[in-house]
Amino acid sequence: MNFLKIFVRNLVKGPSTIPFPFAPAWTPERMRGRIQFKLQSCTGCRACEQVCAPGAIRFDKTPEGLRFMRWHNTCVFCGMCEFYCPTDAISQSDDWHMAHAVGEKYGMAIREVIPYIACTGCGMKTLASAPNPVGVAPPFTPEEIEQQRNLCPACRKKALAERGVQS
Amino acid sequence: MTLMQTITEKARNLAVRSPWIYRINAGSCNGCDVECATTALIPRYDVERLGCQYCGSPRHADIVLITGPLTARIKDDVLRVFAEIPDPKVTVAVGVCPISGGIFRESYAVHAQVDQYLPVDVNVPGCPPRPQAIIEGVAQAIAIWRERI
Ligand code: SF4
Ligand code: SF4
Ligand code: SF4
Repeated sequence: MNFLKIFVRNLVKGPSTIPFPFAPAWTPERMRGRIQFKLQSCTGCRACEQVCAPGAIRFDKTPEGLRFMRWHNTCVFCGMCEFYCPTDAISQSDDWHMAHAVGEKYGMAIREVIPYIACTGCGMKTLASAPNPVGVAPPFTPEEIEQQRNLCPACRKKALAERGVQS
Repeated sequence: MTLMQTITEKARNLAVRSPWIYRINAGSCNGCDVECATTALIPRYDVERLGCQYCGSPRHADIVLITGPLTARIKDDVLRVFAEIPDPKVTVAVGVCPISGGIFRESYAVHAQVDQYLPVDVNVPGCPPRPQAIIEGVAQAIAIWRERI
């Protein structure tokens, strides 16, 4: 008699097939999908490159700065990079619409450069990366982050000491 | 339009409604194969709504789904089976393994990327991709197949 129950349920609720690709598909809230990268928050610590097992993330030193490269076509969506990122620079979205023609294979990537600048304190060539927030209490304000971004490591240390924290 | 052209056009419109799918496992961990089976067999996803049907013989296939990183051991067999599939065919690489090697990338035991050996048309990244993503890839493959026949 079980089939009668299912029959009635299907009559009431309609078919259980989801209508995709003819209509949008439901996506679970915590779906682990395409990685997003926010250059402004990246400290250049390269922790994500270390933990990425398939080597989807790579950093290269270029004359312009530190280049971040991430290839979606080898990422296994494990979420390790997001877990170990000290800022929220790298995060996983719930976007899974990634099927593409083979011509776009190498376009499925993120390529960004953290540029070199002259330190506003001493004038030395340094990376304009965000400061590492680990252990800094009270946390950086957005203004402080922008200020630290323009300093070299030695001047950052000095600024932090003047602020009265040890990092 | 001549009679011949009309018949060809009609036949093409009919054929594009029922592509047959053949699945090649090129050394996959089975994750992508489970998702491919899910895509076809579970009423919730049901790829047959697109007119597709899985077939057991490579000689009947129109769309080929390849999973796995092309392990050294399976490579020759995969190439032999692939050569048996009649043209025109459309190849879909399912999962990051055939596309780049994925988690097995740069291993001595795999020959990924598969597109060094076979002409691939559509990539569906994911490890494994969710069934809806595979359906999306198959839909793109059908669009390409429509151009080819
Ligand atoms: S989710 Fe995993 S595989 Fe993808 S980039 Fe991050 S660490 Fe690498
Ligand atoms: S801050 Fe995050 S994204 Fe930037 S290098 Fe470190 S782990 Fe990677
Ligand atoms: S892409 Fe991931 S799930 Fe698919 S065969 Fe490769 S390792 Fe397995």
